Amino acid sequence: MIVRTGLTGAAPRPESLILATRDLDRGRTSPEAVEEMFQGAERDVVALERRLGFESISGGYLRWPDPFRPFGETWEGFAVGPLSRWLETNTFFRQPILLAPPGRVPGAFASRLPPALRADPPNGRILLPGPYTFAQVLDNRSGETDEAVIHRLGRALADEVRALRELGFRTFLFGEPMLAVRPPEGPRAEAVVAGYRSLQAALGGATSIVWTYGADGIPAFPLLDRLPVSAVGVDLADTDVEHLPPSAHRTGLGLGVLDPRTTLAEDPAEVARVVRTAHERRRPSTIWLGPGAPLDLLPWEPATRKLHVLPAVSQALGDGGRR
Amino acid sequence: MTRALFPTQEIGSLAKPRWQLLGQRSEPLDEAAKGEFRVETDRTGFANDLPAARDVLLAGRAREVDPERVRDLGALFAIRFLESAGLDRVYDGEARRIEMYEYPIRQMRGFRFQGHVRSFDNKYYLKAAVVDELRLERPYHVDEFDFVKRHAHAEPKLPITGPYTLADWSFNEYYLSHQKGWKGRTARRAAQREFVVDLARRALRPTIQALIEHGCRVIQIDEPAAGTHPDEAELVVEGFNAATEGFDAEFSMHICYSNYRDLLPALLEAKRCHQWAWEFANRDVEGHDGYAVLAALAEYGDTREVGLGVLDVHRDTIETPELVAARIGRAVRYLGDPHRIWVNPDCGLRTRRLPVARAKLEAMVRGVALARAEFESPRR
Repeated sequence: MIVRTGLTGAAPRPESLILATRDLDRGRTSPEAVEEMFQGAERDVVALERRLGFESISGGYLRWPDPFRPFGETWEGFAVGPLSRWLETNTFFRQPILLAPPGRVPGAFASRLPPALRADPPNGRILLPGPYTFAQVLDNRSGETDEAVIHRLGRALADEVRALRELGFRTFLFGEPMLAVRPPEGPRAEAVVAGYRSLQAALGGATSIVWTYGADGIPAFPLLDRLPVSAVGVDLADTDVEHLPPSAHRTGLGLGVLDPRTTLAEDPAEVARVVRTAHERRRPSTIWLGPGAPLDLLPWEPATRKLHVLPAVSQALGDGGRR
Repeated sequence: MTRALFPTQEIGSLAKPRWQLLGQRSEPLDEAAKGEFRVETDRTGFANDLPAARDVLLAGRAREVDPERVRDLGALFAIRFLESAGLDRVYDGEARRIEMYEYPIRQMRGFRFQGHVRSFDNKYYLKAAVVDELRLERPYHVDEFDFVKRHAHAEPKLPITGPYTLADWSFNEYYLSHQKGWKGRTARRAAQREFVVDLARRALRPTIQALIEHGCRVIQIDEPAAGTHPDEAELVVEGFNAATEGFDAEFSMHICYSNYRDLLPALLEAKRCHQWAWEFANRDVEGHDGYAVLAALAEYGDTREVGLGVLDVHRDTIETPELVAARIGRAVRYLGDPHRIWVNPDCGLRTRRLPVARAKLEAMVRGVALARAEFESPRR
């Protein structure tokens, strides 16, 4: 069994950084001082990711206000809208408003990547919103159908991926909670497949992972199995591993084995047992383990405590193929 | 008591004025804070009930004022702020509460705060895990209610965070650890149910009982988390019923930013809920009637009161009185009976600066006057 581990979303900000950003908002510290804090915290996340043997490093994406703002603020066709609740949590995002066909502005997104990530692209993990989730959360005032918007976002994200590939990045994770929360059907499902075909062309030989969470992933599998990506992931806090459908292909399987909605640490032996069950059902080429949903639903300390479970699970599984 | 049509109410929080924040920290007021304080005192006379605290604060001797007296001033300010805007039901803007989660959790044993979780941008909330058997230290909100009752001229309505939301916004360790095997969906659901019911019985019930004994007649149970797991609507109701069963008070349930249709008909089993206080204005945009969802209540034959959100608390744009009246008019058409409608902001106004909040509330009251003129017309 080949096992890879890594973050599947943003990491929480350390308490010291939280204090600094609060002080910044209250005018008690300078932007320069907070920038130093960000860089220090990003270095800490990278060091932790390396220490834990993660397949690729992310830097934690600590600066991003939410998964969509970097695009809403930098891409053409968008405005940033009102605060909206993010899925089942007490966290919010600014709803992107699509006013015209979306288009990337060269370099704008890349400049928002964590500096620690920009310094080492081949080992970096790029987190992007998947085209379906992006289309589902935005306020579409573009005059186009939702299906057309999914397709357009797939192409715009493909442009972004191409540019990032040129910078040397090789691992891309697309956050797609809405595929589980609201599985698309009919023409909308076809638009999702078309969106990912656009991405496939841009990805070339890069690793691509579609990660679902927020609801039971099982109903999404008929569609997930059609996506031309390296792996599809589900959150095992919401998805019953016994119900995973067998796979005709040997696509990689992502398993969200850390639950960021509880501070209760997972038992590595119990996680290993569940992973083995999933492996028996799907026979994937590679198993990708990580938090089921973005870890920033937790404070820093319990989040890092949970991450330490991952190498222990790899060990229990025999450590096959881990870097 | 006979009320005019479309009585008005607030929903919960107001932004805390700068002078309160500085005063609570025993920091001297700067000129902006002093100016803000004086303007409001001139306008409503709010601080005249506590002249000693007022004078020491304005003299720049904040260290000499007990922070609790500053909170008293903050509560008085919010009461007069809401009354002077013309509301029929008021509270204290939650002037004494840190926010709607941390404050009640701090009144209980069995929780351990784990650290901050980001809510949005650079805004965070302190999140706790339930790690042990849950026990209430003592009923909460009672002192603040007594203060409001003593000082308010309008009818008080107390907001209290519901058991489902307190559970949903906490980490669940204690109950989840009792579940055997993999902590997946089934185990999480079972653990959450135990947690919600315990919160309702051990924390909410004794608190509500104490409040009622102190004369509280109108209680709004806030369940903003209700809409985030529509498939748990029955659990929201179970918590609500466990918290309110057998009590003689007028209860409402506040939910916001949710697809209410997804919660029906399960929600209708909330037996002692007298009023649904929901957000609508935020979703009422060009090309989309945000009030159409009220038709669902009619479809299920529900005839309870509706607290109608007519002010979007996430935008600075001030609704015109005509827009407010039009929104009320649409609600009347969906519900059929104007006497079922109370009028309020979508949610707590703490997200808006105080001048914006005031302008919105005043527009709401003027809009209600327009709607009354229309629906109380003898021609009808």
